[in-house]
Amino acid sequence: MTATIALADDVVIPRRSLVARSADAVRRNPTIFIGAILLAALVLVALLAPVIAADPFRQAPINRMRPPSERWWFGTDQFGRDIFSRTIYGTRVSLTVGISVALFSSIIGLIIGLACGYVRALDAVLMRVMDGLMAIPSILLAIALITLTRPGLGIVIVAIVIPEVPRVARVVRSVVLSIRSQPYVESAVAGGTRSLKLLVRHILPNTLAPLIVQATYVCASAMLIEAGLSFLGAGVPPEIPSWGNIIAQGRTFFQIAPWSILIPGAFLALTVLAVNMLGDGLRDRLDPRLARRM
Amino acid sequence: MTILQVRDLKTQFFTRDGVVRAVDGVSFDLNAGETLGIVGESGCGKSVTALSILRLIPAQAGRIVGGSVTFEGTELTSLSESEMRKVRGHSISMIFQEPMTSLNPVLTVGTQIAENVVQHWGVGWREARDRAREVLELVRLSDPKRRLDEYPHQLSGGMRQRVMIAMALSCDPKVLIADEPTTALDVTIQAQILDLMLELKEKIGAAIIMITHDLGVIAETAQRVIVMYAGRKVEEASVEDLFARPAHPYTRGLMRAIPRLDLDAEEAGRRARLDEIPGIVPVLTQAIPGCAFASRCAFATDRCRVEPPPLFEQGGGAFGAAHSHHDGAGIAHAHDGPTGPHLAACWHTDRVLEAAA
Amino acid sequence: MSEGPSLEVRDLVKHFPLSGGLLSRKKKVVRAVDGVSFDVRRGETLGVVGESGCGKSTLGKVVMKLIEPTSGTILLGGTDVTHLEPGAMWPHRRQIQLVFQDPYSSLNPRLSAGTIVGEPLENFGLARGSDKDGRVAELFKRVGLRPEAMRKYPHEFSGGQRQRLGIAKALAVNPDVIVADEPVSALDVSVQAQVLNLLIDLQDEYRLTYLFISHDLGVMRHVSHRIAVMYLGRIVELTDKRTLFSRPLHPYTEALLAAAPIPDPTKRKARRRIVQGEVPSPTNPPSGCHFHPRCPYVLPACRTIDPPLVEVLPGQRVACIRREPGAEPAPLTPTR
Repeated sequence: MTATIALADDVVIPRRSLVARSADAVRRNPTIFIGAILLAALVLVALLAPVIAADPFRQAPINRMRPPSERWWFGTDQFGRDIFSRTIYGTRVSLTVGISVALFSSIIGLIIGLACGYVRALDAVLMRVMDGLMAIPSILLAIALITLTRPGLGIVIVAIVIPEVPRVARVVRSVVLSIRSQPYVESAVAGGTRSLKLLVRHILPNTLAPLIVQATYVCASAMLIEAGLSFLGAGVPPEIPSWGNIIAQGRTFFQIAPWSILIPGAFLALTVLAVNMLGDGLRDRLDPRLARRM
Repeated sequence: MTILQVRDLKTQFFTRDGVVRAVDGVSFDLNAGETLGIVGESGCGKSVTALSILRLIPAQAGRIVGGSVTFEGTELTSLSESEMRKVRGHSISMIFQEPMTSLNPVLTVGTQIAENVVQHWGVGWREARDRAREVLELVRLSDPKRRLDEYPHQLSGGMRQRVMIAMALSCDPKVLIADEPTTALDVTIQAQILDLMLELKEKIGAAIIMITHDLGVIAETAQRVIVMYAGRKVEEASVEDLFARPAHPYTRGLMRAIPRLDLDAEEAGRRARLDEIPGIVPVLTQAIPGCAFASRCAFATDRCRVEPPPLFEQGGGAFGAAHSHHDGAGIAHAHDGPTGPHLAACWHTDRVLEAAA
Repeated sequence: MSEGPSLEVRDLVKHFPLSGGLLSRKKKVVRAVDGVSFDVRRGETLGVVGESGCGKSTLGKVVMKLIEPTSGTILLGGTDVTHLEPGAMWPHRRQIQLVFQDPYSSLNPRLSAGTIVGEPLENFGLARGSDKDGRVAELFKRVGLRPEAMRKYPHEFSGGQRQRLGIAKALAVNPDVIVADEPVSALDVSVQAQVLNLLIDLQDEYRLTYLFISHDLGVMRHVSHRIAVMYLGRIVELTDKRTLFSRPLHPYTEALLAAAPIPDPTKRKARRRIVQGEVPSPTNPPSGCHFHPRCPYVLPACRTIDPPLVEVLPGQRVACIRREPGAEPAPLTPTR
């Protein structure tokens, strides 16, 4: 054959210990960790609700509007219900709505975004539909849907998912468009890779990072919208404790029993903050790394 | 007459993976009006050397950790930032590889040049603009008056490079550092720019440091050449000596690895193979005992892997006398004119020269 | 297998429309490839050289049908593939593969090296599972990489090694033709030599046909058998390598050769003829012969006549009205 081809030496990249790299990661990106830990704590609280909280529905008018004390940590509302329990159970509602909306809108948005980014014919049509949907405010849509059917958690989720899908689709679409023109995609086509495989193996993995970041924002947004809807009475039925309707019910008595509003409000703010921090941290961590290639 | 002296320059970068010894003890002199070429492949430290001279290394990324850079008697490494600003663009100018990113896209060409003049010469705006037009004519930019009011994106790559050169020359620098000035340009435009630079050098009398990876460009423009590898200087010679008798295995390897457009490389009717340099450049985060090139060198012995070779000076045809370290009190190495000493950092220059014969 | 050329191209044209379509009256186009014809025989390397805007990269992609041609004909191993839809084109992709310029963006950073190189084998059903892994390991060895590196990711390889990966992938399906678009331009000199040697060895071993696109004349001289010089979408000279360098007939070829720096200070061209002017943009090419504004030998007729590529001497085609077929190739008299 030919003269010996020197086997190309491998590049040696010194790797530091797992501990060192983890410590490094936390130091460089505290937001992700703070956000994640907070969120994890809240999820834990929601899951352990039956264990840590008393019955949120039990009314005891004799105990109405008690301020926070040893017996009732967050005080009671005008029906004598323990606000601590109601708030803890409210965590379940918010997290359920937030996570479900994030999940569904991500999946649907991903499919639509991929389709639009890849098939030009679909793009023109679908994107206009998306634009139309984005214009509908969730609150009005929810109210409209509820008048057509019974109020419930499911309807709330649907009503919030519909306007959020276009936002996700848009993000996915732009990623797909930018990846399509990458040389490695051309290389795959030249190597005989066909459309479906191209989408699944080459394009899809690169959409996941921005998708996850977007999903966290959708989650935070959904929780706020749900609270707003419940506050207006267009959300979850009033017996089921949601931070929104706890606040709504405490509204008239704000002057004498502010804890009814302040405490669920604080929880809402904290949860949204946790999710946003997670999203911001992920975005900072994932995007430059994608660009930097290592 | 030496105007720039670099002695044992050491620049390091601090990265997640360790300390990168980008420039590891480099010394050279630049005489007034001469063209010094610095040649090497990517990662050899040639650009970092230039940036170190002008103290343009970003503080969070790296630092000059040792050595000295003396310009006309003044120690540049110890100047304050504001004093350094007076030097940049005035006595020592630099032009870069990518004119599009080196020129401000939102300012007109005239404004950018005039700004430089105002800052260093302290003249009024009108005078500065006149000077801008003057230097644009000097670089043979077509229709200079109109160009003053154009933006960088309206010009082609070659024209932008001329603008960069004009800006660099606007305050009559004594030294022009050109970092890969033609790499991003087409061949015919490259020829025009190199020609222009040589012509300007004669007119203005500035010394040029020409940094490139292209040995062809070096052959066309340089009078003296330094070859760098892994942050170290491995060979220094006049351009004729370097090409006629390369004494360092790396230089020799490079020259044999280039496909020549002026020679027909065929053996017995088949296309000849290029002489490869096996392996890859060493990682600079790890200290290299011995010669940096030893792992890829066909002439390497055990000594090479352990003991870093000093620069040997050629005397009477052979590389004998160990060249003294460039310290002011040592043996005067000053060369008059372009010929000067031929230095090579290798224990086995005799075998390299023999192999060429 | 046909005896004809592995790759043949006739009057190939690719125009890109510029936006401003609906409302403007005159549709502006970028004439990236403006009527190109050539053929390449089995085992031969046709080098395509030119500066930016000459259309050589677009030519490579159109020949691969990664971009659809505007008009003309592409014959791959004798079969006309010009009008094949992507689905119908797919089986023919086995015969023609591409090596890219940029080793950093031409490999999917999320896939392992072994997966990338093995993908074409999967696509065409040539090998599966451990059989595929075996073939990939062999390809790795053939291009000078350790088979254990199959599990590594692109960022763990150097530029030269990544380029070898690209070559291994192109070889995987045993193509007849490889289009190499500036395969060594992004590499250091010492690494460039390794990759060029590899490409030449592979060509000799497998009788591959190369369409080798580059701007570097030194590389061209080393690797090509015949060379086509392109300027603004057209071929201005096409001949064998030796003749191109010893007896260039087109003024642009002359200009290119005069401009390229030579690594030999004794051949310093102090006051050589350097062609002036800018490389024009393909959106607004000059009339007649595209080179006429910069040509030192221009005649008034050059502004209006579009010179065809004709065989001026045996085996040497030139597109210049001042070079007449059969005439003695004397130096032209400058007119400016």
